[in-house]
Amino acid sequence: MGIHSVANACAHLQNASRARLGLTSLPNNKYNLRLALALHKAGFLSCVTRGGPHPPPLDQLSSYTPEPITSKNVATSRLWVGLKYWDNEPVLKHLNAVSKPSRLVTSGLKDLERVSRGFPAGHLKGLNLGECLFLATDRGVMEVREAVERRLGGLVLARAS
Amino acid sequence: MRVARPAARSLFSRGLAAVAVTAAAPTTTTTTTAAAAPLSCRQFHSSSKLEARRRPRFSNIRAVEMGLVNEEKVQNFTEQKFKKYTPEEIKVLKTVYTPQQIEAIEAGEATIDPRDLTIQGRLRIDPYRLPYVDDFSHISPVIDKRPRREPPPDPNARFMNLDEFTEDLISWADSFRTGEVTGNLKKLKDFAPAEWQEKAEGVWPKEVRKKAHEDFMDYVKAEAAKKPAQAEEDGPTDADFLEYILERSSMTDNNRKSNSALAPGLPHKVPGVAGLYKHSVDPDDFGLDDTGVYQDLKRRTGMSVREILRLNTKILVRRFVSNQTRMGKVRSASVLCIAGNKDGWLGLGIAKSTDSETAVIKSRLLAIQNMRPVRRYENRTIYGTVTAKIGASVVELRSRPPGFGLRVSHRIFEMCRACGIQDLSAKFLRSHNPLNTVKATYEALMTQPDPEEIAIGRGKKLVDVRKVYYGGNVL
Repeated sequence: MGIHSVANACAHLQNASRARLGLTSLPNNKYNLRLALALHKAGFLSCVTRGGPHPPPLDQLSSYTPEPITSKNVATSRLWVGLKYWDNEPVLKHLNAVSKPSRLVTSGLKDLERVSRGFPAGHLKGLNLGECLFLATDRGVMEVREAVERRLGGLVLARAS
Repeated sequence: MRVARPAARSLFSRGLAAVAVTAAAPTTTTTTTAAAAPLSCRQFHSSSKLEARRRPRFSNIRAVEMGLVNEEKVQNFTEQKFKKYTPEEIKVLKTVYTPQQIEAIEAGEATIDPRDLTIQGRLRIDPYRLPYVDDFSHISPVIDKRPRREPPPDPNARFMNLDEFTEDLISWADSFRTGEVTGNLKKLKDFAPAEWQEKAEGVWPKEVRKKAHEDFMDYVKAEAAKKPAQAEEDGPTDADFLEYILERSSMTDNNRKSNSALAPGLPHKVPGVAGLYKHSVDPDDFGLDDTGVYQDLKRRTGMSVREILRLNTKILVRRFVSNQTRMGKVRSASVLCIAGNKDGWLGLGIAKSTDSETAVIKSRLLAIQNMRPVRRYENRTIYGTVTAKIGASVVELRSRPPGFGLRVSHRIFEMCRACGIQDLSAKFLRSHNPLNTVKATYEALMTQPDPEEIAIGRGKKLVDVRKVYYGGNVL
């Protein structure tokens, strides 16, 4: 699976958020799962659950145990993602993919240090107030501040705010 | 004869000539007839003259000759037309009229001879005759004047003052009470001995006063005990209240009915409107607003005039616009004004008027009225980078470190100065339209992100690193 599923997921999540949906689904793959978990960790999503083509029961989102993945249902399994809203506004207002299949954007530690402090570096603009940048590093998908803390660079996936 | 001049020329002389001819005729046998024809007067019109008095072709026949008005027929007609009152009719009349009126009627009947009515009376028989002869028992509103049964209104009546009105209301209420209540209640002096009743209470002897007070209190208590039972039985009905509201006179004429629905005219000396329409000058304004310009604003904003005048206002955009009508161009001035207190409040006012000065005043008042708080980071700059778009004008405002200053365009500079922002950088990304850039800047300042709201939304703790680094001593 390439980076295109991440780009699609970003567009879908932003659209779903602007449409004020409570629960939406992404294709279940490793990249999407890691990005969704990173977003969840950053507080943009309320829940991330694996499920089938139908949404899991809403009252057991946290205690729900999905079916084990088999070769039969792997194609139809989805990631069900809960969206958050606060003060009549979506928490995830903007989610823009940075890397595209046609151009992968990678960034080193030096640039990321500048970007995370709000200054532009290379192709990346500095982070604004409340903005997050998600990277795919060899230690997993994480936020730029965590990557800088861990002295890591990597593939820039998306900007969220 | 004096014929020195042609006499026929003259109107009068022609008449004289005719007279002269007729006078001379007996003497002269030869009659110069053509000249002597009876040319009595000159014709003033061209139509042919009537020869003599017109006579009917058939001679008239008098009614007497036809036997229509002989004595017997007159008598019959009179008896038929002008009948005398029968005893039954007189009996009915007596039920309606007073004896004196009956006497007058009889005297009138005796005075007028019915025969005279027949011969001399002009009794109309045309279809447009009045439907009665002299009968005033019924009033025909179309023909007759409105009867005025009441006297004219009292010219000295005036509207009651408060005391008179209260008295009138009490007297009206009293009229519904049968027992001894309100105005008919006994008073304190009724319980005093007769010799003290006329004197003031202050001069009463002590024991008299004490006894009177005790008796009076007993009486009042007894009255109060029986009042509720009575009040349910009598008292004004809803109809009485309605009558009081609609028909009771509010003037000092004792509710006298009058023949006019109009109130009497105003007296000569009317107090006038002096002082009624002048706005009262508020002493809290300290004479700063004698023209009353800021009174409405004061009421809306809750600020005092001194505070309003202390605000900074500035005209940022002034345009001359015109409305093309069929009468021509109607030119007016459009003014954009900002107002701020240099401490985080900024307002925008746009007003238009054909009078430039009026537009300025209106926009200034609007700007003060529209003042809203602007979020400021450390009271010197904004939160993050904000972008706003109005029309084709896109403004990007960027927060800057302390001491950076205001590196912005002159209109944004004024706005920042008015609301107390000291460090800012700004860029107009597209159109530089003055009005829209100011509006977009205002929009951007108002839509800054709130870190606390973001933190609550994400469930995260946001820390201001500057404050952590400097130990909270950033200002």
